[in-house]
This record gives sequence, structure tokens and C-alpha cells, in this order.
Amino acid sequence: MGSDMERDDEEEEESVSEILRDRFRLSTISIAEAEGKKNGMQISEPIVACVSDLAFKYAQQLAKDLELFAQHAGRKSVNMEDVILSAHRNDHLAASLRSISNELKAKEPQSERKRKKNTRKEDKSNADVHYIADP
Amino acid sequence: MEGNSFDPDLIRAIFQLVWKRRAAEREKNERKETVEAEMGVGTSKKNRLTSANAYALKLSCELLRLFVTEAIQRAATIAEAEGSNKIEATHLERILPQLLLDF
Repeated sequence: MGSDMERDDEEEEESVSEILRDRFRLSTISIAEAEGKKNGMQISEPIVACVSDLAFKYAQQLAKDLELFAQHAGRKSVNMEDVILSAHRNDHLAASLRSISNELKAKEPQSERKRKKNTRKEDKSNADVHYIADP
Repeated sequence: MEGNSFDPDLIRAIFQLVWKRRAAEREKNERKETVEAEMGVGTSKKNRLTSANAYALKLSCELLRLFVTEAIQRAATIAEAEGSNKIEATHLERILPQLLLDF
């Protein structure tokens, strides 16, 4: 029974993984084709599929790395520093990730200021009281 | 940054699948090691999955996009040097080792 259920889980996980892989491949195709056009190059189909699978494997490896980095820092949540750290072997890559991260930070400043705009509405209850004149 | 990149939600789903799998494995190993002792302490710690903030996901998308564009650009350079206007398997083979070392 237990092993049956486990097998079902595995199968389900496998199919989810398959769907994600396909969606990932579609994104890769559009990126690769845009890049090919920019370079005036055609790309044969198996090559795009191959690059997509490589990138997918890389994404899975990246997930593992990021989790380990976050855990090492005593966090449960991955942040941008972890992603930059994952590229530490390649200085150019780390530098461009750093500049992208600065761009992202600059573009969307933290929306914490909204919280301070708490309008002080002190509804005075006596507004609701109607004085009824005695006849 | 160009218009077409990966969807952060897609990348989150991929990451979470990996994290879920690893958490399940960890749990299995821990259960084997400590069959009886400290059940209460372990569960509260294990059950929280790793998550990623929105910026981190966007940056990961960018990293993966760079991987794909680098692969195509490097292969295109080789194809061009060989006087071809279509990237074929041999071109990818040539650039693959260095690409994998760079990422």
C-alpha cells in the first residue's frame, strides 16, 4: 500500500516535472530564436531542444545551490545575494548579475511607505446619534 | 533587459519542485537515523520549505536567459567562422565545454 502510494506520488511528480519542462522549452525557444535572429543565424531544431534541456538541468542545479546558500546563511528564503553568489566562479557573470540586481532594486523601491499613510479616521460615534425632539 | 525572458512563476515552480523533492529526501533520511527520539522537535523544523523572494526569482530568470543567449551566441560565432548560416550540432559541441565551465 505504502509503496503504491509512493509510486503514485512519484508518477505525479514526474508528470508535473514534464509539464514544467515543456513550458520551459517554449520560453527557451522564443529566447533562442530572438537571439539567433539578432545574429542572423538559423538554429536547427534539435539544438534548441538541447540547449533547453541543458538550461533546465542548470535551473535544477541552481535551485539546489540556492537552497544550500540560503540555509548556510540561516535563512529559509532565497534572496538576490544567493543568486549572485551562485555565479561566483565567473567574475563577468557575477558583475552583470550584480548590475541587474541593482537595476531591479532601483526600479521597484520597497512599497513600505504606503503603510505610513494611515489616515486617522476617528469616527465619532455621536455623529450617528439623532436627537429626536419631543413633540 | 529584453522583453522575452523566462516567467518568474515558471522558475518558481521548477525551484519548488526541486526543493520539495529534497525536503522529502531529507525527511526520509532523518526518519531512518532517528527512529524514535525527538519527533516533536524535528517536524516543526522540517516542514517549512525553502522559498525565494520575487527579486531573487527575477534575477534567476535573467541568469537562465543569459545561459541560453550565451549558448546561442557562442555557437553562432563558430558557425559564422565555418561559413554556415545555421547552427548545427557540431557548433554546439564545440562551445559546450567552456559554456558549462562558465556557468
